[in-house]
Amino acid sequence: MNAELSCDSSNMAGQEDPVQREIHQDWANREYIEVITSSIKKIADFLNSFDMSCRSRLATLNEKLTALERRIEYIEARVTKGETLT
Amino acid sequence: MPLVTRNIEPRHVCRQTIPSNIRSELECVTNISLANIIRQLGSLSKYAEDVFGELFVQAGAFALRVNTLGERVDRLQVKVTQLDPKEEEVSLQAITTRKAFRSSVTQDQQLFTRPSLPLPVQDTYTTCDPPPPLNQLSQYREDGKEALKFYTDPSYFFDLWKEKMLQDTKDIMKEKRKHRREKKDHLNQRTLNPRKIKTRKEEWERRKMGEEFVVPKNEMMNSSEGLNGSIGSGEGFTSEGLEQSTGSYAYDPSSPLSMPGSDDFLPPPPPDMAYNDGQYGAPTQKRVSVLSPSHPPPAPPMASSPPNSRPNLAPPPAPPPPPPPSGFGVPPPPPGFDAPPSPPPLSSSPSAYPSPPAPPPPPTMSTVSPPPPPPMPPGAGPPPPPPPPPPPGPPPPAFNNSAPPPPSGGGSAPSSAPKPQPAPEPEGDARSDLLQAIRQGFNLRKVEAQREQEKRDHFGNDVAAILSRRIAVECSDSEDDSSEFDDDEWSD
Repeated sequence: MNAELSCDSSNMAGQEDPVQREIHQDWANREYIEVITSSIKKIADFLNSFDMSCRSRLATLNEKLTALERRIEYIEARVTKGETLT
Repeated sequence: MPLVTRNIEPRHVCRQTIPSNIRSELECVTNISLANIIRQLGSLSKYAEDVFGELFVQAGAFALRVNTLGERVDRLQVKVTQLDPKEEEVSLQAITTRKAFRSSVTQDQQLFTRPSLPLPVQDTYTTCDPPPPLNQLSQYREDGKEALKFYTDPSYFFDLWKEKMLQDTKDIMKEKRKHRREKKDHLNQRTLNPRKIKTRKEEWERRKMGEEFVVPKNEMMNSSEGLNGSIGSGEGFTSEGLEQSTGSYAYDPSSPLSMPGSDDFLPPPPPDMAYNDGQYGAPTQKRVSVLSPSHPPPAPPMASSPPNSRPNLAPPPAPPPPPPPSGFGVPPPPPGFDAPPSPPPLSSSPSAYPSPPAPPPPPTMSTVSPPPPPPMPPGAGPPPPPPPPPPPGPPPPAFNNSAPPPPSGGGSAPSSAPKPQPAPEPEGDARSDLLQAIRQGFNLRKVEAQREQEKRDHFGNDVAAILSRRIAVECSDSEDDSSEFDDDEWSD
């Protein structure tokens, strides 16, 4: 009885061990995959936000550039006229 | 609905069917998940490269612009340092001869067209099903149109809008021509510019005699507009108490309120002017207003002026060649002249003549005016013949026959004759050569149609810019037309 019990426990333990090991291993693998996928999602979010911020900054740069270009056009017109006249 | 620009390929990492002949399913799932993760990383890197590429291209374009701007600033710096010691421009000619500065506002076009789609979205579109190949049937069509256009035409709305714009531009051009012709017909009788200036002075003049007698202009306008060439407009002026005015009222054609103060000097209303006046309501009244300056002056000069004014005013209604606007500009100043009542009317009246519309210099007219009728007739003889041939226009021979009697215009006629001739000449040619015009018109239509088609083919999508300009032109034209009409209405 005791031996059977001990054998049973050992067998149970043995059955559990491989299954548990497998399940534990599966849990570990899933956690690993989850970490990787979450990091992939973070990279995707970072790319999107970087793209948006870059576009907004480039747009403001564009506005400043166009304003500067217009001012320079005006100044050039003022200056060149003076030169041609003098 | 937001469209996903970049879709990472293996959407679900673990959702895959496992082959049935595998023992360790958990490991299989794990391995499949890891493989999908690697695929996701691959697509992610591809899209990241695409994103950074777009940003890089934009930043590169901006860098170019910044460099060019920097070069321009350097040049300007040098120029400014050179300018300082030099003399400043003081001459007024410089202000007028200089070309006005106009900033070039660049308009972005073709922003949301198919080629401007970002690459990832284009790839998404290519994954869609294409339309059926109906263009293979277009060779059997007699219209020459593409068969696929009847199924799905992406350029349908643009073509519709283009046609509408072209139609609008043509309609506006036609309306402008009509209005110009009508205004030319009435130019003899009207002076658009002086109206604006006269009205105020007329109001003051009306009030000079006493505010009690001031009759609202609306009443006068209604009475005058309702009756072409009627004497009704004179009713309002009887209260002014000038004997001459009563006689002049009778001649006032259906002139609008432009000449309330000048009613005293209304010239004999030419019957032909009636129908012209009816449309715009202010034909010869400009001439009448010209006489208005004599209104405030003492009566004796008035007595002399009316007879002079009447003969002067007779020719104006005659020929319809478009009198130069400067001629109309002369009448407005006269209202302000109190000292020389007769010269201004004479000067203004000849300027109002359509046939000799050249604005005669006031001093010359003043010299002509003192010896009134005698010198006029001989001078009137030669000028009338030249004007009649050039303008075969609306009130043709009747006005031309009436032109000789008014001698006042004779002095200014010779000088002004050559000027109006070129203007009425095209009208004469158009009317005299009907057959040729018709033939040319038919030929022109075919050629024009071909040319238009060729233009459209050549311009292609660039027409968008041209169309946007046409819209601006249309807006300006409509504004100009409306402003012109408003002026007429207001002056009338």
